[in-house]
Amino acid sequence: MRNICSLGSTRLAAAAFLLLGASAHTAFGATYFLTVAGLGGEADYEQRFQMLATDTDKMLKASPGTDKIVETLKGADATRAKLEASLAKIAAAAKPADAFVLMMIGHGTFDGGEYKFNLPGPDISGPELAVLLNRITAGRQLVVNMTSASGGATDALKKEGRVIITATKSGTEKNATVFARFWVEALRDPAADTDKNQAITALEAYKYAVAKTTAFFTDSKHLATEHAVLADEQRAAAFTLVRSGSAVVVTDPAKRALVATKEDIENKIDALKYQKDLMDSDDYRRQLTTLLLQLARTQEAIEK
Amino acid sequence: MKRGVLLAGVCGLGLTAGILAQTQPAAPRPPAKKPPAAAPAPAPNTAPVRTSITLAQVEGLWRNARTAEDYKTVGAAFETLLKSDATNAEYRIRYADLLISRFNVADAESLYQEALKIDPKNAKAYIGLAEIYADSFDKLGEESATAALGLDPKLYHAQEIIARIALEDSNMEKAAKAADLALAIDPTAVEAIAIHATIDLLADRPNSPWLAKIGNRGEGYADIARALVNNRRYEDGIAYYRKAVAANPDLWRAHSQLGVNLMRMGREEEARAELELAYNNDYRDAVTANTLILMDTYKDYDTTRWPEPGTPTGILRLHKKESAVLRPYFEVEMKRAMATYEKKYGYKMTKPVQLEVYTDPANFAVRVMGLAGIGLLGVTFDNVVAMDGPSARARQEGYHWASVMWHELSHVYTIAMTNERVPRWFTEGVAVHEEAATTPDWGDRLNPQIVAALRDKKLLPIADIDRGFVHPTYPEQVIVSYYQAGKICDYIVKRWGDSKLVEMIHAFAGNRQTPDVIREVLKMEPEAFDKDFLADLMAETGKTVNGFEAWTKEMRELNTAVKDDKIPADMLQRARALEAIYPDYVEAGSPYLLAAQACLKASDKPCAVGEFAKYSKIGGRDLEAMEQYAGLLSEGGNKKDALAALSRMIYVFPLDAGLHEKLGNLNLDTGNTKDAVREFQVLLALNPGDKAGSHYNLAKAYQADGQKDKAREEAINALETAPEFRPAQKLLLDVSGDGK
Repeated sequence: MRNICSLGSTRLAAAAFLLLGASAHTAFGATYFLTVAGLGGEADYEQRFQMLATDTDKMLKASPGTDKIVETLKGADATRAKLEASLAKIAAAAKPADAFVLMMIGHGTFDGGEYKFNLPGPDISGPELAVLLNRITAGRQLVVNMTSASGGATDALKKEGRVIITATKSGTEKNATVFARFWVEALRDPAADTDKNQAITALEAYKYAVAKTTAFFTDSKHLATEHAVLADEQRAAAFTLVRSGSAVVVTDPAKRALVATKEDIENKIDALKYQKDLMDSDDYRRQLTTLLLQLARTQEAIEK
Repeated sequence: MKRGVLLAGVCGLGLTAGILAQTQPAAPRPPAKKPPAAAPAPAPNTAPVRTSITLAQVEGLWRNARTAEDYKTVGAAFETLLKSDATNAEYRIRYADLLISRFNVADAESLYQEALKIDPKNAKAYIGLAEIYADSFDKLGEESATAALGLDPKLYHAQEIIARIALEDSNMEKAAKAADLALAIDPTAVEAIAIHATIDLLADRPNSPWLAKIGNRGEGYADIARALVNNRRYEDGIAYYRKAVAANPDLWRAHSQLGVNLMRMGREEEARAELELAYNNDYRDAVTANTLILMDTYKDYDTTRWPEPGTPTGILRLHKKESAVLRPYFEVEMKRAMATYEKKYGYKMTKPVQLEVYTDPANFAVRVMGLAGIGLLGVTFDNVVAMDGPSARARQEGYHWASVMWHELSHVYTIAMTNERVPRWFTEGVAVHEEAATTPDWGDRLNPQIVAALRDKKLLPIADIDRGFVHPTYPEQVIVSYYQAGKICDYIVKRWGDSKLVEMIHAFAGNRQTPDVIREVLKMEPEAFDKDFLADLMAETGKTVNGFEAWTKEMRELNTAVKDDKIPADMLQRARALEAIYPDYVEAGSPYLLAAQACLKASDKPCAVGEFAKYSKIGGRDLEAMEQYAGLLSEGGNKKDALAALSRMIYVFPLDAGLHEKLGNLNLDTGNTKDAVREFQVLLALNPGDKAGSHYNLAKAYQADGQKDKAREEAINALETAPEFRPAQKLLLDVSGDGK
């Protein structure tokens, strides 16, 4: 999902780096990923949570690019002490130019006032977690809380620059969630990459998981017991979680010019799409076709 | 009508109405008698409800009640009476009578029961209960009526109820006898007269002398109409509802039922007028209100007519939100079924056949309100079929919409060919037979409930089988009766050929009784038929029935082991042994799937393919399993079989986007470009999250099909969403002449 709005362009101005088949990725520092699978309570949940965390870990690690640090806590390792230690380590290492992604899988509880993430041994509350997260200086942060009652943690975790996704809209949605399953599925399913730039962003994964969660309840004729929430779509669109294309460096000056041309065409396409509702449909289509053909030819020339 | 194995209810419709209506009686009933006119009557609404109010005063209020507000006042007065004397059974009975007349059956039933606790010998309370239970086709109806008669032999209405129930069972002798007993007590008893008249009309004696005895009593005609509708004589039923309202224009329940039955037959304008007339005159039961609400939703449906919109032979009505997805499959199947039946039965419909597909189970439930049985999946009213659409059912049910469609369309033909005189068992039997006659893996399989019934020898003789549909005596009897009726028709075809079924249809058109038709067409006594049929059925199912107990135990053990990830080393052999005992079992934990799992664990893919093939052939409907099967076939280079295997699933999961994508690709791979186009068009109509990918798929299919212009448009659509989508860029260049 390319961002073209208020966050400013996420394209590289110099266009020196390319994802194979995709023009843009963000010019940020490293991304720290921490995935935690909490206490299952029952064997089925235990197995499910650990499997989701393991799959996430594998996909993050397999994703092209070296600008990522991936850590996963699950099973007996997912204790409060280890979570605190991992967060402290990230706090010590991460810089403002970096990004941080926390993914929480498991059960959560909410007593009307305070959310708790269930871990083997002592749980951790929303405010306690917030204190640890606030020590991390990474300029862009994403918390994906996929536990039951996760909506109950939002107020505590809110912070400028931190995108929060929760599987439930409030702390009162207390049933075990299915959102996590579809979130993880999004990371591996090419269909989640709706703009086909070979990268799956948090927004794309969120939309994919929401659609699948809705279908899950609709198909089974059960009342939906969870309603995921994402407050800031624009920022979520800027968070790349996994990539399927490889980064390549364009060194040929001639191709650099082509890359610039390509950027220019893409900007024109974006501008045209913004004007769509105001334009005659035939004229819009004609202009769009012309630009898309130019873009395709340019891309082909770059790849030659 | 097609009945689901899962007993999905048709209850809760009061909520849909959102008005006074609560649990709705299954059929119209005579309103509870208001008190005699001679009693003094305070003006409605104005009389204060005093703690010293008497029953006579409340009766007076009731007698003069006209509006919903008036009735609320009467109800409040009854509440006051109840509080004033907690031991008075009469108060409760009359209050219950009021509630019945105001469509609140659940509370009325409770009050009658309370009255019986106070006064166990109160015949009126039993009569009230008998009405409630009889209206819902509950066997307690006759028991309650009999109990009332035991307490007061002069209660002729109890005999009328018994006669009505016997009539529903097609037990004409018993119905006539009970009606006679009622008339012996009261020679003017209108329902008893109507029952005699109905018996004559059902026997095609239109000049019944009993009709004249009804005179201008609209209730009698409405009773006849109801019985005719119960016997699928819809046109005749409508005619008698018309007589009822002509005789008594204020008979709002008859107006309502006239409207409902006109709606069933697709005559919507007139139906709405009758329903609104009833509704506006404060007859606002759940059927009336919900039918009007349902008719309001018709604007949300797309209607397709063929071959000509003005003079159609087929009409398909699909909800707008699904019509683009379902029409390609529903229209094809509807045409195929009609062509098949036309040829097989040698009959061309004289009226257009209309099929309505409902997305909301509540709307479909309104269509079937008042009919015997619950959990219906489809229903046929002469030439109009209403059925649940795929989205109305839970995915895990594995709802096979095409089986239901073929089932219902079969009814259209048997009902038309017999001029609405086909007995229930036979039309259901033919319909169940037809589900799988053309495509053997369709239809329902022998399920464990039926195995248990076979083991316990619960099948009915052919002469009595209708009873199992209308007044079941054990919970699974309706399902068992469908199975038995279907198997009877299978047996007839197997032994004598299709032509005998057609001969039987023609024989029933002459309004012959089942035993006579068996003798005439099959040249044997019904008892001899039963004997031969059961012998054949046991030969087919005996191994399953006899081994069922051991099979159940072994199934439980194996499935538990799999769940616990402790797959036994000999699972393949054990699963195959289970398959041999109960080959029809393709539901959850099917031995075929256990065996396939064992094969895959041993990395023996051909073995797994073999197991999946058996599962598919018998009718397995687990989408994941079938996808796995198709995947294995594709891997082995057998894409045609993979396509065939997955294509079966369209009849179960037509709304599954992933299935359409797989089918589209398999069609492309096997050169079926037109089918690939269809699949990808449907995929787009499902509004998938991956719009760019879906447009691109369709572009590929168009390109393969030689439709370059459309391919180009779809490539542009894909790139509009995702301008950097390389495969779509390449395709665009290709079809624009830029390709290399």
